[in-house]
Amino acid sequence: MSDQTGPGTAGSGGGDQPGDSAQERVHYAGYQGEPADKSDQDSMSSIFKRAKHPVDTSGAPAGGSGISAGGPDVPAGTSDGPEALGTPPNQTDSTRDPETTVMRTGAAGVAQPTYGTHAGGGGGVTVRPPRAEDVDRRAERRAERLIACWFLISVVGTVGFVITNFVGDKHQAYYTPCLGSALGLAVGGLGIGMILWAKRLMPHEQAVQDRHEFTSPKEEIAVTEAEITAGFADTGLARFPLLRRTLLGAGTVLGGLVVVPLLNLTNSKPGKKLDHTSWVKGSRLVTEDGRLVKLGDISIGGIETVFPAIPVTESDGTTTYKPKTDVHTKADSTTILIRLPPGIDRPRKGRENWSIDGHVAYSKICSHAGCPVSLYEQQTHHLLCPCHQSVFDVLDGCRAIFGPASRSLPQLAIAADADGFLYARNGDYDEPVGAAFWERS
Amino acid sequence: MTTASPPEFVKRPTPVRKANRAIDERFGTQPGLRRNLNKVFPDHWSFMIGEIALYSFIVLLLTGIYLTLFFDPSNTEVIYNGSYVPLKGVEMSRAYASTLDISFDTRAGLVFRQIHHWAALIFVASIVVHLFRVFFTGAYRKPREVNWLIGVGLLILAILEGFAGYSLPDDLLSGTGLRIAASIAQSIPIIGTWASFLLFNGEFPGDNFLPRLYVIHILLVPGVLLALIGAHMGILWHQKHTDFPGPGKTEHNVVGHRVFPVFAVKSGGFFMMVFAMLALLGGLAQINPIWMFGPYDPSKVSSASQPDWYIGFLDGSTRLMPPWEFRGLGHTVPAVFWPTAVLPGILFTLLALYPFLEARFTGDTKSYNLLQRPREAPTRTALGAMSISFYLVLWISGGNDVIAKTFSISLNAMTWAGRIGLIIVPPIAYAITKKICLSLQEKDAEVEHHGIETGIIRQLPSGEFVEDHRPKPTPVPDHPQVPNDRFALPSANGHGDGDGKGLARRAGKAVSGFFVEEKETGPGGPSTPVGGGKH
Repeated sequence: MSDQTGPGTAGSGGGDQPGDSAQERVHYAGYQGEPADKSDQDSMSSIFKRAKHPVDTSGAPAGGSGISAGGPDVPAGTSDGPEALGTPPNQTDSTRDPETTVMRTGAAGVAQPTYGTHAGGGGGVTVRPPRAEDVDRRAERRAERLIACWFLISVVGTVGFVITNFVGDKHQAYYTPCLGSALGLAVGGLGIGMILWAKRLMPHEQAVQDRHEFTSPKEEIAVTEAEITAGFADTGLARFPLLRRTLLGAGTVLGGLVVVPLLNLTNSKPGKKLDHTSWVKGSRLVTEDGRLVKLGDISIGGIETVFPAIPVTESDGTTTYKPKTDVHTKADSTTILIRLPPGIDRPRKGRENWSIDGHVAYSKICSHAGCPVSLYEQQTHHLLCPCHQSVFDVLDGCRAIFGPASRSLPQLAIAADADGFLYARNGDYDEPVGAAFWERS
Repeated sequence: MTTASPPEFVKRPTPVRKANRAIDERFGTQPGLRRNLNKVFPDHWSFMIGEIALYSFIVLLLTGIYLTLFFDPSNTEVIYNGSYVPLKGVEMSRAYASTLDISFDTRAGLVFRQIHHWAALIFVASIVVHLFRVFFTGAYRKPREVNWLIGVGLLILAILEGFAGYSLPDDLLSGTGLRIAASIAQSIPIIGTWASFLLFNGEFPGDNFLPRLYVIHILLVPGVLLALIGAHMGILWHQKHTDFPGPGKTEHNVVGHRVFPVFAVKSGGFFMMVFAMLALLGGLAQINPIWMFGPYDPSKVSSASQPDWYIGFLDGSTRLMPPWEFRGLGHTVPAVFWPTAVLPGILFTLLALYPFLEARFTGDTKSYNLLQRPREAPTRTALGAMSISFYLVLWISGGNDVIAKTFSISLNAMTWAGRIGLIIVPPIAYAITKKICLSLQEKDAEVEHHGIETGIIRQLPSGEFVEDHRPKPTPVPDHPQVPNDRFALPSANGHGDGDGKGLARRAGKAVSGFFVEEKETGPGGPSTPVGGGKH
């Protein structure tokens, strides 16, 4: 047998059982216990009539693909087929053949089995029965037709895709599912066909290839290292320290140049930008649809998301209010206005007049990661951030009471003017809103 | 023995042979071509997981190219006037509007968008499962540590790429994700504010950020991914695939199918199957219906907002993190910094260093080509189970609001369960896994020594009852094993009868190059042809 395959020394089962070099070639008669094609079980003779490689009962090599098919010793007088790992022996009455059993009390090695599998890993033994396609021309043709069928299904899928794409109405519900199914059929048909082709019609043999070590021999390493050393000496970097240092210096300075494009990524320096929002003193509170909020607009227990409406003095001296609801303003100035039942708010020291008639305003930008804190629980007066479930107690100055947020939501001081419009009485929040950052004290 | 003698040189070549010869005259392709076509890949279902990752990446490239033709990554605000009625007249970015156009007004737009999204999910998922396979079988051991490192890099990049991709449409869900990303960038001590401003071009949501994200998503990250995948494959090709122990398999050979034709056809078919599955998913299973979320608005958020699955563990770690924000000396280290920057940093560093740590602690510096079963390395397997359980607790916590709502559990209880579970579940997973591995080892040893139970009880003359055991059958190959070279070439250098153990001699040949290596007579003796068996 081939030495190249080597004994199966590393097999999990310790598959090296040398000394079986004199094996008979397998022939398919060895598999007669398991007809290759179950549908042909009824008439074994028909198999032989259409067989690709008629069985040579004299034991000569058979089978085009069984190049190295060294066979198991089929025990004389038994009809046992060769056996795959883990299948029980055919005979169940073990008393008749003491060789096939090892008694628990018996010494190991007394009874080595005589199944046809003791050839060992190195023997190049086939244990699976040949495919129907290997022995039967008709089965081979059937496989060919089946594969061709899948290839044709692929064509149907492709045509279906093209038709759906051009003729189908892309606004109809069927459009996308049809395209996906057709594409799946187009590609999948080809895929199934190819896999069947490889499995059913290509030879079932395992090629054995040697690996090579990656470690180079010592001489090779020595030579290579010497070459590099010599080349390095040729550069003179060791002899000319000025050259070496200036080269290193120039390289470092040039490398430092990457900072320039990096810093050019923005013209907007952080500065104090994160400390401020768009709220200014006197800004009225405006809803997203541009309605200025007045006292009484919100019922008790109600909430409203509000934005700043910046006071602008017109040329004629009147003041108009310009709502700011662009995306940049919304990102930091979004405020949640809540009307609490009278008397239950517990304002912090110094904030006693930051609310008016139960209306309190807090930043809607979560102090944890900047999501809008949008879930208000009317019964408990808790605000919940849907991103990471931080909970804020509105009655207690929006203190963070659960979850990963650690800071209260900043409060906006509000008051009502003579017309009842709510406005920011102190201007901007007195601390940065949203997620924390290094420069924040 | 099994290889035929050299074939005749065909005097009157067919056009294909002519082309082959023309190329050979210019590049000398024949030895390399033959060696690579005859290269052997082992067969095991678990080796196909990495292939799924590769093939979904190809699908990502194909569908991604299609999407770039229609997507406009612009922050410019427009009023939508497409065919999706509920959003008509709504102000939104060009990015969101063009995503709606792809979904509703572009031929085959939605199906390719959905295939793209599904392929991204499957891409990361198959990388993770492939990582499990490599980890639990010890495939990362010397000499394959570099490929492990590349693999970890690929995983990180795949996650970043996925995040960048699903952030592009500028819908409410992805915008919220970007806001959190900005907060994370901002949370880094010292450089955080600048990092966030440089990335977003100003204070969130920044100025023209989407074009920037688009370049990251379609050029920078895919370029690096492509290069790393090339390196990953090249190293695999050069070092040859690992294999499980089995009949005829040794540390010094590969047993399987040649690249040409069986492996190529099977793999090609498998690519088609992966593509087909993704096409069916993209057509039949809705994913990321951005029209239901609406355009991004920093003042709005949908509840139960969930990122794509591979971000979930970071979401979970953020939710479980106690509110530990450090303030002092005029500076703040935000709570969000620990679970989203420090934790993944530690996790991925440990992951990357694992092969080196294992070699260090076991003192095992040998090279291996045969894989281990998980039970054969109980500590490693237990560590793996521990890590997976840690990850799973984080991942489940990423959806704890959904779980709490679905099962009517208190959200606070879910959070606390996650916090406690994160600490106690991994050690339990470690202990149980190790115990299972050791028990399986015992079972294996028992079968090795006493054989397999037959279920046949016999009474001995002494009256004792014994159960028959039959010895474990020696495993045999499923199929005939043949040398990977079909034809023998006359020996050129006189070697040829070695036993394959002359490592120095073989290695000397091996260093002469990847594809241009000089051939020697294989170590398999006269049965091995010259010119075979090396790559």
